Amino acid sequence: MALEQQPHLKTAAVPEVDFSKAREMAPYLTEPKAMYVGAPGKHGYLRMGFELDARGKSILRDLDRRVPLIVQQELYFDEEMPEMPCVYILSSGGPNVDGDRYQQDIYLKKGSFAWVSTGASTKLAEMNYNYSGLIQNITLEEGAYLEFMPEPVIPCRKTRFISDTNIVCHETATLFYSEIFMGGRKYYKDGELFEYDILSVCSHAARPDGKRLFREKFVIDPHIEHPRSLGVMGQFDVFANVIVITPKESADKIYERTQAFINDKAGKASLAAGITHLPNDAGLLFKVLGMEPDPVRKAVREFCSCVREAVKGKKVPEDFPWR
Amino acid sequence: MRTCMGTCIHTAIIMTRESGMANISSIMRLLQFTDSTFPVGTFSFSNGLETAAQYGLVHDAATLEQFTWSQALQGAYSDGVVAILAHRAALAGDYDAILEADARLLEFRMNDEARLMLRRMGKKLAELSSHLADSPIARRWLEDIKAEKTPGCYPVAQGIVFAAAGIGERDLFCSSQYGIINMVLSAALRCVRVSHYDTQEILFRFSERIGHLYDEASQMTLDDMHSFVPQIDILASLHEKGNMRMFMN
Repeated sequence: MALEQQPHLKTAAVPEVDFSKAREMAPYLTEPKAMYVGAPGKHGYLRMGFELDARGKSILRDLDRRVPLIVQQELYFDEEMPEMPCVYILSSGGPNVDGDRYQQDIYLKKGSFAWVSTGASTKLAEMNYNYSGLIQNITLEEGAYLEFMPEPVIPCRKTRFISDTNIVCHETATLFYSEIFMGGRKYYKDGELFEYDILSVCSHAARPDGKRLFREKFVIDPHIEHPRSLGVMGQFDVFANVIVITPKESADKIYERTQAFINDKAGKASLAAGITHLPNDAGLLFKVLGMEPDPVRKAVREFCSCVREAVKGKKVPEDFPWR
Repeated sequence: MRTCMGTCIHTAIIMTRESGMANISSIMRLLQFTDSTFPVGTFSFSNGLETAAQYGLVHDAATLEQFTWSQALQGAYSDGVVAILAHRAALAGDYDAILEADARLLEFRMNDEARLMLRRMGKKLAELSSHLADSPIARRWLEDIKAEKTPGCYPVAQGIVFAAAGIGERDLFCSSQYGIINMVLSAALRCVRVSHYDTQEILFRFSERIGHLYDEASQMTLDDMHSFVPQIDILASLHEKGNMRMFMN
């Protein structure tokens, strides 16, 4: 029976993750010889809706998921903000493999707040036929606050990855959205840096009325232009990109308190960071370059603390020692 | 006969879009609009080179060449794409597409000083155009810039003005690339230890690589624009926050 004739199945179906318009992925459209694109288990879906309950507590009210993505429940472990629900997104499938598709929808209703991360680094495995794609829809209503701080992405040799993050953020809400990209498995065999086929990452945001704010897209294809070039990654191996959408008053405070720097150790830079304003008074953009993931993670976390202080008047606690 | 007429007309349109009229006056105008003395304020900007030199990242001809190429690439896949699309929109009389390209480039440029540069040079070129290659679209666009209805980005101004002057989109793309590359190289003469010979050699070598960039950029849409230059972005931020400066970016 066709899907349209089974409305219950159609409702339960996972939205299609479609990147057919992305011209940079055109060379990677062969159907994998193993499980086909979009097969059950290769098409993860996650929907999380946070809201304030009747007593004003921020809770994870709505949760829907499809393998391999797993979210169990919200926890309240943030010592500086014990009222904040914290969620780890896990994947039962291990790394992203050839032909994987994912969608993550995160919704924060009026006045709610949350912290979202991943349980471990996202490994992008070697791919021979197709690519791995991720669509994210992040929506923040009036006065909402979200810290989205996943662990680094590690692109292995010959991997292909594309993501599209669509943000809708109310004028009074604050979104902290970070991504950390390793150059590859730095200490695997003789070192595997920038040996992937392509990374294409796009984030764009608008207000609830549809007014566009910004669109950032980077396509890294080491076959065409090597990221080692001066001005791109230079000698650095790890890159973090942090988008902060926040009202102008908080953005001005955060900008004032955040330093741009290049740390020199014996004439060789080990860590560098910069901050600038997003277009249309949308907020800020913070970038970090480093040699190892930990100092970069630390810089991102410290910056998050600065954002939290400006918006919520509280700090981000020290990371757990086992993380 | 009718088919032949159709083909001829079609070919003529292609000629105008890609290579322009290719007569002497259009070549003269191409040179005029591309010249570094063309008064749009190019000399005030260094595209991040000032800070790169200050931190010792660019210190000789080889590092200057790499840095400049990163700038050229970033420009090709954003400014270049927008210039081409604005040029096509101007030829088609599609004013909405011009406004769209203008807004989208501003939304894409992730740096305050770079946005300032885009707007300042764009407005200057739009003002100049009323004295040079005047067109109803250019006049309307300038009014909208003054009324703050549109940002007025430089590549859009280039698209409109070059179309009005009968210069084709491939020549426009070359002019756009030349402008970006030469802005950095000219600034280098003032803040990096390189000679005129070095900068001219770099410029000469780059000319062979621009054709590929045009082939790519001319097929891209506004959604396809991309840029990955984190090191340059961090340098731009250091410049924005710093107080030692000769250039505006």
